[in-house]
Amino acid sequence: MRLGGFAANAVIAGAILWSLVTTDVELSRLVSAGPRIADFLGRMFPPDPTVMREIVKGSAETLRIAILGSVGAVVLSVPLGILASETMVAPALFRPVRTLLAFVRAIPLILVAMLMVGAVGLGPLPGIIAIAFHATGMLAKFYAEAIDGVSRAPIAALESAGAGPLARLRHAIWPQMAPVVARDTIFRFELNLRESLILGIVGAGGIGFYIQTYVRSFQYDKAASVTIAVVVMVIAIEAVNVALRRRFA
Amino acid sequence: MSAAARIDDLSFAHPGAALPALERVSLSIPSGESVALLGPSGAGKTTLLALLDGRLQGWRGRVSVLGTAFYPDRAPPRPCRPDTGFVFQEFALVERSTVLRNVLNGRLGRMPPLRALSGQASAHDMTVVRAALADCGIADLAERRVDSLSGGQRQRVAIARCLAQEPRLILADEPVSNLDPARAGEILSLLTGAARMRGATALFSSHQPDLARRFAQRIIGMRNGRIVFDVPTSELDEDATADLYRDAGPMSGIGLRAVR
Ligand SMILES: Nc1ncnc2c1ncn2[C@@H]1O[C@H](COP(=O)(O)OP(=O)(O)OP(=O)(O)O)[C@@H](O)[C@H]1O
Ligand SMILES: [Mg+2]
Repeated sequence: MRLGGFAANAVIAGAILWSLVTTDVELSRLVSAGPRIADFLGRMFPPDPTVMREIVKGSAETLRIAILGSVGAVVLSVPLGILASETMVAPALFRPVRTLLAFVRAIPLILVAMLMVGAVGLGPLPGIIAIAFHATGMLAKFYAEAIDGVSRAPIAALESAGAGPLARLRHAIWPQMAPVVARDTIFRFELNLRESLILGIVGAGGIGFYIQTYVRSFQYDKAASVTIAVVVMVIAIEAVNVALRRRFA
Repeated sequence: MSAAARIDDLSFAHPGAALPALERVSLSIPSGESVALLGPSGAGKTTLLALLDGRLQGWRGRVSVLGTAFYPDRAPPRPCRPDTGFVFQEFALVERSTVLRNVLNGRLGRMPPLRALSGQASAHDMTVVRAALADCGIADLAERRVDSLSGGQRQRVAIARCLAQEPRLILADEPVSNLDPARAGEILSLLTGAARMRGATALFSSHQPDLARRFAQRIIGMRNGRIVFDVPTSELDEDATADLYRDAGPMSGIGLRAVR
């Protein structure tokens, strides 16, 4: 036991040292950073309110990306969730489907978005596809867990009455899992909305596009306005979600 | 083909169990009869009922239910399943659905696949369901959600769902185990009465010999997976019943004490 604890500490210390020594961390740069950050903040202030139109336009597009991406994720997650549940299918099927979903979850959203921009060009479409793809990895897993979490007895009862697998899903499993699905879907929608805020940075549509444009063209006061708008939106999303969660508690 | 159920030299052990739950069981139940299964905890009553419902595989022997032979390696064909209705001891209802929806669920096996999926009941389905609700005395509860009902009311919903199936063989696993004696009599009379009215065969398990005597024409006593006696109710002998429950393990007295 004590040897194990020592080994764990040694590994952690080694990892930190290795990172410090081999990464190009010039502490001297921090010294000159102060005035630069001040200058940066100075240029951000006061935020330029003339970009209101861009903010509204970008936010609306972000919202649309999140909504359509979420719809896509739900459409994909329903069949995949069924195929990943041990209640509905044989191990030979749900095991590979679960592995596939784990792979999908492991690919960062921004990477998917960049690949999609390369594949279908700039704009909201690659963003929607990226969100749908990325969110499915989590949502299908949640749906499968919701299916597997229901009480088995009514399912067996309907099977005994001669109901087929889909009728059992509809009338014995679905009524039990519906509140869980609603909660999980709303939770995932919140994540989709948050994550789609930055998709524009890689050209996949939405409000992030303006942040990237303004920073690149050194219009920090405009970038500041957009950033404030994003922060406000995240806070608003969270507030709405807290209220919704209370309803499902 | 007048036997509703016929079992020949049947043995079965649950997967992973050391001892068989059923050993060399043979019985034949004629159509239209009401039969009670008595026996201490662990005797094999639930196992025998589940077997007749087509839910067990891997047994040895011969089984046929309502003229269909069962095979030990596969479930019976789905079209046969609505003909056998099962009242589960723990009700097995969909708690978040209404009483009506739960009773309609009993019709699913009788509906064409697409209609079963949508759950749209035909006029005939509704007639059968309304009759089942009325027979069980719960017509006024139709729109209530099951999770708002009492135990006795749930019991009635479970029976109504079984009747809505229009089964020719009704299997009931301790349908009155957690009811007071007056309620228990009411429910058993409902179950056996509904079976008689519909010309169906009824087989129910119970821990209460006096109730079995009142509502069954025939009584089968089981112990340790074997049939100990199988007699018309009029010939049931007190000593044989008492023997059934004697020294059958630490839990054996519980069911009987509740009765005597
Ligand atoms: N799923 C299972 N896996 C392993 N053994 C089981 C399983 N179900 C039942 N058994 C065993 O089979 C035997 C018969 O059980 P069964 O449930 O049929 O008894 P019972 O007569 O219905 O008892 P009770 O009156 O308590 O309901 C018991 O020894 C039990 O432990
Ligand atoms: Mg039992």
